[in-house]
Amino acid sequence: MDHQLLIAILLLSPLVGFVLNGTRFRSQNYVLAGAIATGAVVVSFICSVMLMLQLIDADPEHRRLTATFFEWIAVGGLKINAGFVVDQISSIMILIITGVGSLIHLFSIGYMHHDKGVTKYFAYLNLFIFNMLILVLGDSLVTMFVGWEGVGLCSYLLIGFWFSDSAKAAAGMKAFITNRIGDAAFIIGMFILFFTFGTLNMYELNALAPTVVEASWLGAATLGTLMLFIGATGKSAQVPLYVWLPDAMAGPTPVSALIHAATMVTAGVYMIVRLNPMFVAAPNTMMVIAIVGAVTAVMAATIGLTQFDIKKVLAYSTVSQLGYMFLAVGVGAFGAGMMHLMTHAFFKALMFLGSGSVIHAMDGEQDIQLMGGLKKKLPITHATFVMGWLAIIGFPLFSGFFSKDEILWQAYSSPRGSVFLWMAGALGATLTAFYMTRLMALTFWGGSRVPKSVHPHESPAIMTIPLIVLAILSVVGGFVGVPHVISEYLGHIPNFWEHWLEPVIRRLPEGVSEHSATEEWGLMATSVTLALVSAFTAYRIYTNGKKTNEQIAKAFGPVYNVVNNKYFVDEAYFGGIINPLVKQSQNLWMYIDVNFIDKTTHVIADMTKGVGSLARSFQTGNMQQYAMYIGLGVVTVLTFVLMR
Amino acid sequence: MTDAILFWFLALVTIGAGLSVVLMSNPIYSALCLAMTMVGVSALFVTMGAYFLAGVQLIVYAGAVMVLFVMVLMLFDLKHEIQAFTRGKITGAVKIGTVGILAGLIVGAITLSSKVMELAKSAPAAAATGKTYGDNTMSLAQNLFLQNVFGFEALGVVLLVIAVGTVALSRSRGGTHARD
Amino acid sequence: MPETNFITTIGLEHYLVLSAVLFSMGMAGVLLRRNLIVLLMSVELMLNAVNISFVAFSKYNNNIEGQIMVFFVMTIAAAEAAVGLALAVSIFKRFKEVNIRFFEHLKG
Repeated sequence: MDHQLLIAILLLSPLVGFVLNGTRFRSQNYVLAGAIATGAVVVSFICSVMLMLQLIDADPEHRRLTATFFEWIAVGGLKINAGFVVDQISSIMILIITGVGSLIHLFSIGYMHHDKGVTKYFAYLNLFIFNMLILVLGDSLVTMFVGWEGVGLCSYLLIGFWFSDSAKAAAGMKAFITNRIGDAAFIIGMFILFFTFGTLNMYELNALAPTVVEASWLGAATLGTLMLFIGATGKSAQVPLYVWLPDAMAGPTPVSALIHAATMVTAGVYMIVRLNPMFVAAPNTMMVIAIVGAVTAVMAATIGLTQFDIKKVLAYSTVSQLGYMFLAVGVGAFGAGMMHLMTHAFFKALMFLGSGSVIHAMDGEQDIQLMGGLKKKLPITHATFVMGWLAIIGFPLFSGFFSKDEILWQAYSSPRGSVFLWMAGALGATLTAFYMTRLMALTFWGGSRVPKSVHPHESPAIMTIPLIVLAILSVVGGFVGVPHVISEYLGHIPNFWEHWLEPVIRRLPEGVSEHSATEEWGLMATSVTLALVSAFTAYRIYTNGKKTNEQIAKAFGPVYNVVNNKYFVDEAYFGGIINPLVKQSQNLWMYIDVNFIDKTTHVIADMTKGVGSLARSFQTGNMQQYAMYIGLGVVTVLTFVLMR
Repeated sequence: MTDAILFWFLALVTIGAGLSVVLMSNPIYSALCLAMTMVGVSALFVTMGAYFLAGVQLIVYAGAVMVLFVMVLMLFDLKHEIQAFTRGKITGAVKIGTVGILAGLIVGAITLSSKVMELAKSAPAAAATGKTYGDNTMSLAQNLFLQNVFGFEALGVVLLVIAVGTVALSRSRGGTHARD
Repeated sequence: MPETNFITTIGLEHYLVLSAVLFSMGMAGVLLRRNLIVLLMSVELMLNAVNISFVAFSKYNNNIEGQIMVFFVMTIAAAEAAVGLALAVSIFKRFKEVNIRFFEHLKG
């Protein structure tokens, strides 16, 4: 089939689903709503697969399918087309979005069937998929920004889906406003790039990038990419704008899986990979990205150690894993970043859906202190969750192992990496292993702490099937990109991933540093050993239940307190930025608005009213008086004409 | 000299009748005086050689329009009115003043206008060429049906519309066509 | 031009002045009278005044177009009278009154 038609169907199918469900949003027929929404995304998935097959057939140098539907903006030198591109990078993204998206839609049918707003929910989900596809496929930064804003809107709508709870509505607003800060920087970044390069088309920008050599902090490429990166920190929940993501867990759990784990939050990473030649041209930006990524990875992981809400743990884990991706793209390992994006989409969506299954079984309870021993009650959920757990802690040969170790190795070996970045990454991996094992132990293993009133039960097939599919993907997903040193022992599996992305990834101008295979093996063994040891420690501590939480808190004293309170970042934002702003706004309101602006407008309004009432007295309804005015007018004009 | 006497006589009759239209408090008298004015105007048309128009004036105004007025008055059964004129001394004075100044301005403009004087002088010359009743009507018809035929047709359409509209406006509710 | 000429020699200005006076009288009627029917009559008076000046100009300009215009004005005037009286009838049927003092419903 013609690829333009395929792209059109791919994009419009979720939109049609949104319109169909959105126009009948009061309906509570969850089967019909779910069928429409899931069907729409499945159609998109089929289109994605067909596009991928076309790409694979094509010549490696010309793997790019474009569809330009119409000229959207043409102002002066700015020409933006509604153009969409499927190439090596975006094809992976659309497969993840529509593939994982289909599974999550399917899961939602089971998860949301008792909800009153189920049709509205599915309409939002489809709108999200539509916007995400626009974000991914758009051929210019402006088109991407349309999707960028659209997914932000859908995220807001879905976080605050149960808006009658004011805390959840506030979480939605927090996500939206935090994202706005990043979006403002994103727009500034676009301005800078357009001002400098005269185009916002990403291919043209990438083609122009090699002409730029920048070492300073104030160059256009550096400033522009830095601003785009700030936009990415908002969307992808990096330090300092990560605060919204943990709160975003207020939304329905499948939403957390789709938007806040698998797709939307990875948009920042995707954007950087897409513009990789431009970022490579700005070494300082790359350095900032790598450091921010490493800091986020460690910091979020430490907070994750202390959380007791099953979704909050996963949320901090997501922030931490996103930090890994940024660390990867920051050291120039774009392929590794994309690969971790994909494997993370698999295992984190799996774990979120698994947690959804647990919450479903627990009648809405999210506190892991009140769980435990669920292994027997939820066998399928437990088995799939174990796959996700092994993947995320980087157990050898699971998908997370390949992507994470590739990132750690690149952080060490890349010319733009350093041993400190590797240490941060390894520390993050160790912490990840600890808190994920803690989550497993408290939720599934050990003795049951479930209240007597709750009777956990395994979820229906419509929820477990997506879990099983995702579990399989989490296990085998890593084999698309096996590093050379390992593939030698596994029968020389070619590294499909690197091959696939090679034409669109710009090599670092510094070249490749020489490192031996022994070094790579050593680092890999170190990080894996650290992770396994910490996982075992966590297992010992939490499964036996000998040491209670209070004892741990006492043992670490103030450190625990600080970490448990998330480093007081929210409080610092409130004390340092939000409250002074509110205070200042109140002052402005009281003194400037009320006293000055309001009074001025009141005076003007009174004057208008006075003139109006004067004019009103002429409006007597007496038509002879009107005729007299006409006569007076005629006399005046005649006098004027004759006296001239 | 005779045409001067005729003019002054007709002018007096017309103005007197016109004044009565405005001043009579009984609308029936007003209507009769209006008919008188129409006849006077018609006669003035004759003094100016517009014989055809004079006839039309008699038929349309004195005949049709006046009958319409009188019929409506009869329908309303109006007697002597209590408040024939608007109240308010100041507005009344302003209204009369407006009308007076307007009239003064026009009259002043006419007497001071050199163009009018020039035209007045040329009239005898035109009369000398010998315009008769016959070719007056004929040239009127030729002009009407040749140069202004579209205007004429448009007038026909307007009259048709007005006939329908008038019927719709004054349609009696109740009776044989009752709908509500 | 001797003074006697104004009395004895009738010219364009005579007709025009007559027309102006008639027009002003009609206007005064429109402004001052309160009976709807009389108002319409005054309007007719004004139209007739205009007709006089049209015919006068036609004669002294030696141009037949003025009379054509009078012809049109008469037609329109007749139509206007018909519509106006129809309105008066429907107003009378509604208010049982033709004094416009009672129709001041558009007061601001």
